[in-house]
Amino acid sequence: MSHQFIIRNEERGHDMIKSDGSRSSYIAGHPDGFVTRASSFNFHEYQGGRPGFGPVRVFGDEVFHGTGCGYNMHPHHNFVICAFVFAGELTHINTAGGGTVDRLAAGDYYVFSAGSGGKHSELSVTPEDMHAIYLWLLPKQLYLPPSYHRAHFDFRTRRNAIVQLVGDGDGALPVDQDLRVSRLIADSGKSFAYPLRSVSHGVYVFVREGSVRCDTTVLNARDSTGIWNASTVDFEILEDDTDVIVVETLMIDDTIQQKWEHDHVHH
Amino acid sequence: MSTEPFKRLMCLGCGFSYDEALGLPEHGLAPGTRWEDIPDDWVCPDCGTPKHMFEMVVIGYAYGQPQPSL
Repeated sequence: MSHQFIIRNEERGHDMIKSDGSRSSYIAGHPDGFVTRASSFNFHEYQGGRPGFGPVRVFGDEVFHGTGCGYNMHPHHNFVICAFVFAGELTHINTAGGGTVDRLAAGDYYVFSAGSGGKHSELSVTPEDMHAIYLWLLPKQLYLPPSYHRAHFDFRTRRNAIVQLVGDGDGALPVDQDLRVSRLIADSGKSFAYPLRSVSHGVYVFVREGSVRCDTTVLNARDSTGIWNASTVDFEILEDDTDVIVVETLMIDDTIQQKWEHDHVHH
Repeated sequence: MSTEPFKRLMCLGCGFSYDEALGLPEHGLAPGTRWEDIPDDWVCPDCGTPKHMFEMVVIGYAYGQPQPSL
């Protein structure tokens, strides 16, 4: 018997973080820049929903509004932070390894494992707004050597296929966790099956754009679902240019999620 | 002396970790300081996230870590 939850877009946390006042040292682009953030799981001010999915603690889509907007240089440890850019340009200054200044445009993405410690700043320095999805994972081990990898997803040549971006598949960016992130851009009428690696794995499915029937549930833009104790998840695309992110993970580090389920969900 | 195993906790704002066995001597918390003995108004020394937004984790250290503080 598979398990499932559904999070509609309006049920997520929706925050606007301004760059003036008390947040001006954290948010870049003072005084008119601001960040909007929609969080699927509890994050910062938003503490009203699920605490995560397996080792995933953050899944959010963010927009940096205004030239110069973003996050000023700040430290991280341990978390593996992935960002997938969909519009605008993200200038990413990162101390991992010997230090990097990276510029990511639509289709580009990175995996930053903060490990024993690293700092980064993320800025939108071009006039258009920057759109990205952020994913934060607990690591397999604490204090790993910090690392930074980046790659590009070409949606023109990789349409109508489930393409692995992060994980252990061909050409995917490596990650220190039993986890895979895939992207599916597809057209109406197409069907796809995602076989789970084992019964101990689950998938978190987020519809970035368009509409899809995921098993029996219709998900529209920004809706998402988590499914586990299943062998396969079926997708039926309902609109052209539907864009789906699939995070498959071993269901570990989920004690707080089980407690949350116990307290909030009546099966 | 408690026989309870030492816990590890991670800040959900930035990933900073607190290990009861190690404490944070540079922040006035001696090795062996239990999480429950840290005041409720304590915040993450790196990012200011409040104590209640730390999560207990059962995750091992990478090879060679943690390096002893000098």
